[in-house]
Amino acid sequence: MTDNPTKASVRFDGVQKSFGTVKVLEKFNLEVQPGEFLVLLGASGSGKTTALRILSGLDTPSAGQVYIGERDVTQVLPKYRDISMVFQSYALYPHKTVAENIGFPLKVKKIPKAAMEADILDAAKQVQLEALLDRYPRELSGGQRQRVALARAIIRRPSVFLMDEPLSNLDAKLRGHMRAELKHMQATLGITTIYVTHDQIEAMTLAHRVAVLEKGVLQQLAPPSEIYNNPANLFVAQFIGSPAMNVIHGSLEGASFLTNGAKVKTKVKGQIPKAVAGVRPEDCDVTNPGKGSIRGQIFTTELIGDHTLVTVNWGNDQIVVKAHKDFDGKQGDAVGVQLPADNLYIFNETSGERIR
Amino acid sequence: MKDVIVKFDPQNRSLMERLFEPPAIGKMAPFTKVAVYSFLAIWSFFVLFPIYWVVITSFKDAAAVNQGPNFIPFIDFQPTLDAWRINFTADPYCDIASIARQIYLLAHNSVVFVLSPFVSLQPMEPQICKIYLAFTNSVVISIISTIFCVAVGSMAAYALARIQYKPKFGNIMIFVLLILVVILISTYSGIPWWMSSAVALALFFFLARSIGRHFKMSLGNGDILFWMISQRILPPIVVVVPLYVMFQAVGLLDTHLALILLYAVANLPIVVWLMHDFFANLPIELEESAQLDGATRFGIFWEIVMPLTRPGLAATTLLILVLNWNEYLFAVFLATVKVQTMPIMVAAKNTGEKGVLWWEMCAVTVVMIIPVIIMSVLLTRFISKGVLLGAVKG
Repeated sequence: MTDNPTKASVRFDGVQKSFGTVKVLEKFNLEVQPGEFLVLLGASGSGKTTALRILSGLDTPSAGQVYIGERDVTQVLPKYRDISMVFQSYALYPHKTVAENIGFPLKVKKIPKAAMEADILDAAKQVQLEALLDRYPRELSGGQRQRVALARAIIRRPSVFLMDEPLSNLDAKLRGHMRAELKHMQATLGITTIYVTHDQIEAMTLAHRVAVLEKGVLQQLAPPSEIYNNPANLFVAQFIGSPAMNVIHGSLEGASFLTNGAKVKTKVKGQIPKAVAGVRPEDCDVTNPGKGSIRGQIFTTELIGDHTLVTVNWGNDQIVVKAHKDFDGKQGDAVGVQLPADNLYIFNETSGERIR
Repeated sequence: MKDVIVKFDPQNRSLMERLFEPPAIGKMAPFTKVAVYSFLAIWSFFVLFPIYWVVITSFKDAAAVNQGPNFIPFIDFQPTLDAWRINFTADPYCDIASIARQIYLLAHNSVVFVLSPFVSLQPMEPQICKIYLAFTNSVVISIISTIFCVAVGSMAAYALARIQYKPKFGNIMIFVLLILVVILISTYSGIPWWMSSAVALALFFFLARSIGRHFKMSLGNGDILFWMISQRILPPIVVVVPLYVMFQAVGLLDTHLALILLYAVANLPIVVWLMHDFFANLPIELEESAQLDGATRFGIFWEIVMPLTRPGLAATTLLILVLNWNEYLFAVFLATVKVQTMPIMVAAKNTGEKGVLWWEMCAVTVVMIIPVIIMSVLLTRFISKGVLLGAVKG
């Protein structure tokens, strides 16, 4: 194991992939910096796993090039790409012990046994597995199996790390724990990492930059805070954030947004007959009835712990507001909701584009 | 309403309900239990009785057999070792050392056979009694052909499970057409077969690249698999005469090689068919992961795929081994003297002039059954479940 990890950049250049007539990836361009932790975020069927598999070489693109560093690897076999991958299912070899599993990448390289054992121990220590080296995968818990898969990936010190939803098979508590460990490990090793997930929390917490994909098209590529505070379009705005951003249909006239009898001042100006206003639940406030931009009734309240989610009906629309945990409104109570002019995102309803 | 609830309490059930309704999910009702176990008992009797009969008959003499069916030794008849003595001591060379000599002979003669195009060496003549000869022949032929068959068959099955083949229909037609042309030309024009085949092969590649690729229709892996198994749909008796002529033409009649090759080829479709299913059910992530880790395709096959399909492999091996061990039809045509196998030996006890020597036949049959039992016990230990546990499930 070398102490200086070789960091490589990764570049997708106009990559397309179609299975039969179904286009999974369309003109996909992406540049990943050396040492970066990049998360490909998207719903299932968005093409994120396909992009990863194309980079790994397990799938070949229908068109376009893939570069690792300066090297065009589009036609290179997976094993010559100097990458390692953690699969969603871990893909451990059930007939091999933990040590043999971790050491497999070295074994196929015919590295001497003594050197291999030292490396295995080293990799196992990184993921706190050194006590379990003689066990078989079936004797391990889900989290431990996950660590074995990680150790097997890091033992070679590849120039790029690929992870395909590595945490999605773990229970919620363990997932949070492993998330922190993954982030720490990536920062320590400094290996370029491309991480595929459908979980926006993983994307937000882990990534240096997030690439949001939908229907094979890259929607936005930006750091997590930027993705959250400055979504490029309606899809990104709705995909990121929990609970999801409120979407209000209406029209933009001058510097105000008109909807369902309500009128809210906006920062942007324009004339759009079919517009959508997005507002995050935490940016709204519940006010006394008769005040605020919207007047409606409480549909339901949910106490989450540190806050209460209040769903307010007004007309045919609903809006979710994040209120103080001591909020004591009852179902059916008349309330008002204050929409903030500063954090009101306006989108064109037909194109989904953000109006800036 | 209240009656219904009381009725379903365990202690309030009627006799009929207690007899015919299972006490819990996963258990059998008492009546069903009795019915099922009686059926199984009767079935086992039908299965095991012939074996018992064979064993006791091998300890009878001619008189005891001819008296009619009697089944209890020492009461119905007096057991004797006559049949065993005739089989094992009547012929010359019936000592254990002759088996060792026979194995040496097989090795020696294989070397002679391999070297025969270059050096002219004299093959050894067997000096061994009939039953030992048949036994060693059966062991050698069935084990070697099984190994060969399972090795080649599982590689073919793995390829069919993991690689998508799309042979163009047009190319297949061109190939068949060229074979017909080669046969016609070499039969009627006197041009040597190897020359016309070489030209045809070159022509095939040319045509496949030029004309063949304009064909749209192609076959898939499923078609190839079905084509393979369809070879087994044909009754073997149909091909036995052409096979005899073929082996005669190449001078392999009455050789081990002929039976080994034939058994391997005849059972290949079964191996491919069975193993294909096992390979197709392996999670592909394991192989993809190994591929990324740098393993070669063969490395993946031996290191990852083979160990994981061990139960399937053991079951398939056992099946093929038993099929080869019991094979009669091909052996009776192709093995006349030197490579007689155990089934032939059994059948040979039905002599023309003396009738069926049941007691001797049964002794040979017992010898034939024992190895199969040992094999089954050894191989079923590999047919264990749960090999894949911990591979991909969270």
